[in-house]
Amino acid sequence: MTNESTTTRANATAAGNVSDDDVVGTFADEAPDAQSAPDAGIAFSDRPRERADQARPHRSIRWTKWILGAGSLLAVSAFAWPFFVGAVPADAQVAVPIVAFALIPALIVALALTLDREMYTAQTVALLGVLSAVGAAVRIAGAGAGGVEAVFVLLILAGRVYGARFGFLLGLLTIAVSSALWGGFGPWTPFQMFACGWVAAGAGLLPRWQNAARRESSGQRMRANLEIALLAAYGVVASYLFGLIMNLWFWPFVVGSGTGISYEATADPGQNLASFALYSLVTSTLTWDTVRAITTVVGIASVGPAVLAALRRTKISLRS
Amino acid sequence: MFRLRLAPLLAAIVLAVGFVSLRIVYRVVFGGVGAGTGPVLLELPRLRLDGPFSHISLLGPITLVGLGNAALSALPVAAIIVFFGLLNAVINVQSLFARGAGRGPLRAISRSLVIAWATFPALLESVRRVRVARSLRGERSIASLLVPIFEQTIERALALAASMETRGFAATRFATGVCEAPVVLRDVGLNFGAVPDKTSWHLDALNVTLKPGTLTVIVGATGSGKTSLLHSMSGLFQHFYDGTQNGRIDIVGADRASTPPRDTAGFVGLVAQNVRLGFTAETVHDEIGFALAVRNVTPSIVHARILEVAARLKIEHLVDRPIERLSAGEASLVAIAAALVNHPILLLVDEPLADLDTVARNRVCAVLGQLAHEADVCVVIAEHNTKEFASIADAWLQIRGSRLHQLPADSPADSWGSALPSSGSGPGIATAAQGAIRDISAVPAVPLASIRLLSVRHKTNLVVNDVSVEVQAGELVALRGSNGAGKTSLLRAIALPTSADTVIVAGQDVRSLKRRTRRQTVALVPENFDDLLFAITVAEECRRADRTLREPNFRRALPAATDTERSTAALFAHLLGFNAPTDAAPLLQRHPRDLSAGERLCLVMAIQLAARPALLLVDEPTRGLDQVARALVSAALLTATGAASAVIFATHDDDFAQDLATRNLHMQAGRLAAPIEVLS
Repeated sequence: MTNESTTTRANATAAGNVSDDDVVGTFADEAPDAQSAPDAGIAFSDRPRERADQARPHRSIRWTKWILGAGSLLAVSAFAWPFFVGAVPADAQVAVPIVAFALIPALIVALALTLDREMYTAQTVALLGVLSAVGAAVRIAGAGAGGVEAVFVLLILAGRVYGARFGFLLGLLTIAVSSALWGGFGPWTPFQMFACGWVAAGAGLLPRWQNAARRESSGQRMRANLEIALLAAYGVVASYLFGLIMNLWFWPFVVGSGTGISYEATADPGQNLASFALYSLVTSTLTWDTVRAITTVVGIASVGPAVLAALRRTKISLRS
Repeated sequence: MFRLRLAPLLAAIVLAVGFVSLRIVYRVVFGGVGAGTGPVLLELPRLRLDGPFSHISLLGPITLVGLGNAALSALPVAAIIVFFGLLNAVINVQSLFARGAGRGPLRAISRSLVIAWATFPALLESVRRVRVARSLRGERSIASLLVPIFEQTIERALALAASMETRGFAATRFATGVCEAPVVLRDVGLNFGAVPDKTSWHLDALNVTLKPGTLTVIVGATGSGKTSLLHSMSGLFQHFYDGTQNGRIDIVGADRASTPPRDTAGFVGLVAQNVRLGFTAETVHDEIGFALAVRNVTPSIVHARILEVAARLKIEHLVDRPIERLSAGEASLVAIAAALVNHPILLLVDEPLADLDTVARNRVCAVLGQLAHEADVCVVIAEHNTKEFASIADAWLQIRGSRLHQLPADSPADSWGSALPSSGSGPGIATAAQGAIRDISAVPAVPLASIRLLSVRHKTNLVVNDVSVEVQAGELVALRGSNGAGKTSLLRAIALPTSADTVIVAGQDVRSLKRRTRRQTVALVPENFDDLLFAITVAEECRRADRTLREPNFRRALPAATDTERSTAALFAHLLGFNAPTDAAPLLQRHPRDLSAGERLCLVMAIQLAARPALLLVDEPTRGLDQVARALVSAALLTATGAASAVIFATHDDDFAQDLATRNLHMQAGRLAAPIEVLS
């Protein structure tokens, strides 16, 4: 790369507030974005027309928030279909898994349609594209290296910097790209998409703190370490939850009927829960999920600060 | 959208078999294969769990029928897995995504997916490059691999976004252009930051009016703001890089301060600095047509326009080519074609000649001249390779300090050569320090390094062919030759030799050395030196370099080598020409990528000199640097010759080599051109 573009980028960073936590909030729901930032003389915003009309974008953002929340809630219940079968009339029980399997892709499409409009700016689309390529490459390289899942590192860091919505879409696209790359599309793909999307979105919803002691460098360093620790802890939680929820919807199919840990629609929820807990423990919690948690923590600790810095040097703005 | 690829089907079959076996294992462990009346194969004890798991029992008898039932019950799901494997094998999902790009309700997401696909070749290339860089630095941490790759990826995303923005991506309205006045700047000031600060970069009192059918070249030192000035016209400066504009800029009649680049895509074309980073599509056809596709122009019209533009630039033969199979010159022409597809009134071009060889340079210059003088486009070029434009430029604008000056059109080269403040300092430093080196070289010794019959093969091409050369202590050798002569391959093969007894440095066969000791004999600063940087501050970068030295081998200590002065940070300050290491302290707290290119090169040289290698190799140290930065680098190379024993640098910059080198080696088609005598 030649020097002048770097200079431009560096100057831009120095001038904008890119390296601070406040930009991070660009995608968070109530966080101020570039539109409301005070600036002298020149409008930073590209869209003076829409900026004048404050009410409309705000309303649309609220809506997105509710649609995302409700969609995710519905999706969680579809993941947990084994526990809902007992609650429906006996005639309809056969239909429950079918409904769940149809609901998840439909929700993916619905949420993608909701988010697509506000992602339609050059920076967001470009970042989404290259980051999902990196995510897919990491995912496929990890599968080659004995199932080491390092993709969470990227999802968590990007979700943290660019917020929940960008993170959710990044999770979706990472799975889409890697599945298309090795040819692994199937009924399981939408479930993976949701689970990965949630991991990244969750990182975007983690608490942020104000930069009160910004000038003081020791305080800054402590805060940076604290942030890495927070993300690493979230990484551990996310790794185990991811394993659990991915086991949940598929568990009845893997084990089938007739074993001690089989899913039984007629049994009481407590028994199914115990069966599921044991199944999950032996299938993934002790093995894959632990490996994933360790990889994530090691990854966030070793590349986290540099990757966060690189991401924060690049500001993206949300179309509203 | 259909094609046959067997890998997904095979993967699905493996998965399906795994699924069936897994079900059998689960049933054996959790007591589910005892059913049926057949003979019992294995009688295992049945273990009951207690507590909440009291309904579960482990193991138990295994019957043949039980095993068979287990396998059979898994078959439906296994069949579904194989079915989807089959679908994946015949349906090309990628092309489905590509269809949605640019139109429809999922246009952002499908465009992202197309970009993801287009990113993969670059990503693989970047992994290859960084792996080499990492072994050159002697690092093995995960961060040293992932961080540079990630930085490159983000850089690509930014370039991509800028290129999409200027080609009308996500435009909401299209401003209408006025042909008579492509560029009008009135009392314009440009700076970064809301409060104008006299010490940081800024430009003032810009008054420029450019007419259609003219070709204007903006010149100036690196960091003087050629690119920023150009982008104040493209709108990226105001709307993308967060620059602040004062005064009024009218671009083809549109007020630049309130009109983002995407809304002027119909009449402003931009060719960015590194065109490859900005490619958004996978084929040349789609790349040229991008600006039309994002405006929802009918595909048949898009196709006709692509062919028309390609014919104009005489690149019809490239139209069906995948984007990654273009040479540097072809890539430039494709980028120009992509900027021309909307028939712009104003064409902005940023350093079009930087990576091109002479043939490609002439071609690009001819095309740009033709556009201005025959097609009546207003062409503005930022460039420091100025000779090529001497015959076609109508006006020269030079950035000096914070002002813009018009240079006389007839003999531009003379008038700004003297204007640059430090252009004379390079040779001055060179002569002063060369005396010191001659003192060292006066001591006769066995050759410091000898390269014996070194060859490098890339697939079938022999890129370095039986090169033998000896280097004495104290030499500063220039390795010269045109693009593709094999200079880079030769330097890499010296730093990381693949066969024994080809590279002997300080009496040791480099091939046989371990990572750490190898760095004490030979170190290479590659052309893409940014790949070696992965920390978040310069200070940390230096500390890491100090740490990679287990056992410092200071055969040639720096003058007055106290402990702190030996550190990489001190060496960095020394290379930058500071008298005391503390003078460089403000630089140490910055992010390495916020340094200027010359400073970054010095940092990487300091890192590579940390192990005090006997031989330092530097690949193309002057690429993209102006006079001032070149003076810095040439002084640093001389200092480095004091810190290492000898330096070899590759360059195709003849003037630079002439001023600096104690000896020249010419390379041509993989061979050293002149027979090499062992110097007495």
